[in-house]
Amino acid sequence: MDSPASQPDEPQQPVAGSPSDFLKNIVGKKVKVRIGSGIDYHGLLTCLDGYMNVALEDTEEWANGRLTAKYGDTFLRGNNVLYISALEDL
Amino acid sequence: MEDAVNATISEPLDIVKLSLGERVFMKMRGDRTITGTLHAYDAHMNVVLSNVEESIHIVDVNEDGIPQAPRVERRSLEMLFVRGDGVILLSPTQ
Amino acid sequence: MLIFSFFKTLTDQVITVELKNDLCITGTLKSVDQFLNIRLDGIRVEDPERHPHMLAVKNVFIRGSVVRYVRMAARAVDTTLLEDATRREAHNTGK
Repeated sequence: MDSPASQPDEPQQPVAGSPSDFLKNIVGKKVKVRIGSGIDYHGLLTCLDGYMNVALEDTEEWANGRLTAKYGDTFLRGNNVLYISALEDL
Repeated sequence: MEDAVNATISEPLDIVKLSLGERVFMKMRGDRTITGTLHAYDAHMNVVLSNVEESIHIVDVNEDGIPQAPRVERRSLEMLFVRGDGVILLSPTQ
Repeated sequence: MLIFSFFKTLTDQVITVELKNDLCITGTLKSVDQFLNIRLDGIRVEDPERHPHMLAVKNVFIRGSVVRYVRMAARAVDTTLLEDATRREAHNTGK
């Protein structure tokens, strides 16, 4: 899964890159995780794994535009994850 | 302080590992939430909990198809195995 | 493997299996396999009026994937032992 040897001349850009580069770059950043039911979780991304299980810190649960809950550390089971997006610059 | 937390969490399941023997909150598929004391888990998020409080969040629809005010059905269970495929999130309760 | 072993310690105990279609079946746990498929003996259904087709059934094989919960008596479980076994398994599988 590392960068293939056939593309040695590709410019090193901090933002563009493979999906796994993106995931590496957003660890420690504030992110939004959307799950299948349409609920969003905002928090500091502690880490994630190959199943897309996600650990968040200082988590806010947002459902149809309203803050519905707050948690400290949160484990999100990967199969529910639709997407993860960065809420701050990378 | 933040470093102390991050030092022990190197993969998401570490949050679950650190919650062993502690009270946890779980959000499940089907509008259910559970709190209980965590005694076992595996990589699928199958878990075993004791002193469990389950809440089912229900929105009834009347004859005219109008959704009524949401209501909550609660029950207590002394020991419960929860199959992992229904789990959405787990968080240790403060 | 840990949860499989946990269920093996519950053999011959009375448990209630709650399925994802809300059907609740109480019976004696006869066996379990690695998929957490479950065999129950001497069964009774929680709400027989709603599930009359289950009245004639004395024992069942339940596919693991249709299970939502399994409820059991607290005295059937040694929680200290379970937590130790869980820590050991997490230690061995995590690198």
